[in-house]
Amino acid sequence: MTAFDARGLIGELTVTLDVDVLVGAYADRDGPPGTPSSVLAALGAHGIRAGAVASLRAALFDQRSGNDEVLALQGVVPVGALDLRDPIGSVREMERLAALGVKAVRLFPDEQGVEAGFPSVRHVAKRAAALGLVVLTGGDVRRFWQPFSGLGAQVVFLDTHFYHLGDFLVVAADEPGFHTSTRLLNSPDALESVPADRLLYGSRTPHYEPLVPLLRLATSGLKPEEITAVAGGNARRLLG
Amino acid sequence: MIVDVHAHWGPWFFTMDVAEANLATMDRYGIGVSIVSATEAVIYDAAAGNRALDGWLATTERHYGYVTVNPRRLAEAERDLDEYLPTGRFVGVKIHTDYTGSPVTSPQMRETLALVASRGVPALVHTWGATVLDLAQACLDTPGLRAIAGHMGADGHRHAVEAARACDRLWLEPCYSHAPAGRIAQVVAGVDPGRLLFGTDSTLIDPASAFGAVAAAGLSPDVAEMVAWRNAVQLFGLDITA
Repeated sequence: MTAFDARGLIGELTVTLDVDVLVGAYADRDGPPGTPSSVLAALGAHGIRAGAVASLRAALFDQRSGNDEVLALQGVVPVGALDLRDPIGSVREMERLAALGVKAVRLFPDEQGVEAGFPSVRHVAKRAAALGLVVLTGGDVRRFWQPFSGLGAQVVFLDTHFYHLGDFLVVAADEPGFHTSTRLLNSPDALESVPADRLLYGSRTPHYEPLVPLLRLATSGLKPEEITAVAGGNARRLLG
Repeated sequence: MIVDVHAHWGPWFFTMDVAEANLATMDRYGIGVSIVSATEAVIYDAAAGNRALDGWLATTERHYGYVTVNPRRLAEAERDLDEYLPTGRFVGVKIHTDYTGSPVTSPQMRETLALVASRGVPALVHTWGATVLDLAQACLDTPGLRAIAGHMGADGHRHAVEAARACDRLWLEPCYSHAPAGRIAQVVAGVDPGRLLFGTDSTLIDPASAFGAVAAAGLSPDVAEMVAWRNAVQLFGLDITA
């Protein structure tokens, strides 16, 4: 044991559903490989029992074949990845996925070079809300809240940074379907500032260290029942 | 035992309420000593912040201070260095490149770094991306300067490896609000472990961020001990034995 032993601080905390998990690789990065087996092994090594998994192949190259790859995985909650560069195809893919029982879709605006004000985002947001799909979205929450406003949409902002926590809190007060991932809420009191039913554990395994949000949640000032909700209860409520 | 070489004292302008040092948080992560700069000094007024920090440091036994220097106000900086370094409560200098509009390559920053070198204390300098390479070059160009690359370039950690290899008077400190997979392990694999320090950016960032990222790297016991405190004790000349 060294001075940097995180397991003792994390204790018995287990995550029943991680809302931010990816399979596949980025062409511009050295790694990790992101094979389904290695991703699931990484989750297991951190006591994360299940992940809401989306495909980078779908996000970066081909929606349908990438999403089919995720649909074929066992023991995960499949999330359909959409390509906002193709709003027509994205809506078609959403309708296909919804018919197959998929509960959530994921947007990758940063990776696809899409801004919040692009027509494609509002188009996809409207259709997702109409289909009752939960949207997991990347991007700066200060901008990406807007295409989802007034739709009654269920949205999880995966990239909410604690610098922008105030902006999330004020828009979430008006939008009961707005939620946030814990991943970048790393200031000393950020987790404690969000209503616990709007907070979902997200790690972005395998491209981020799952240990950091795990450690922050385990050492937070949240009550045990709130930690249980954040560690998967809220995600199960949204995603099944 | 851990020495946190990148910490702060004072309030922040974000949605947070963490103005005071949190000893319970330090204890939770085994942080025995923190070296802090005043947020007021970093963000707004160096002289006023240094003065406030000097007063507060007299009330605590687990914190040392950085004299924050604004490269645009060198006369003021020189006065503060002369006033606060001899107290023994201040053990280094903090320079934020962005808040002061002073890139490492700017003339005023070069002059500032020479001033710091003349006082014989290390400088913690904010680095982001490839600017860590600029800091290495500044070290090479400034005799006697010992510099710590704050955030070790953040998303530019691969540049930090090159920077540390280029200059043996440059140390790396890892705090970052993001935790890209494998970042710490890659740096540890590429850099002399004698030049790695531990910092959290507390109270801006919870120590969970840096601690968790370093924990994920699975350091060997020897390297972990160097990163946790031995290197910091040597660099700052701290009177700490364990």
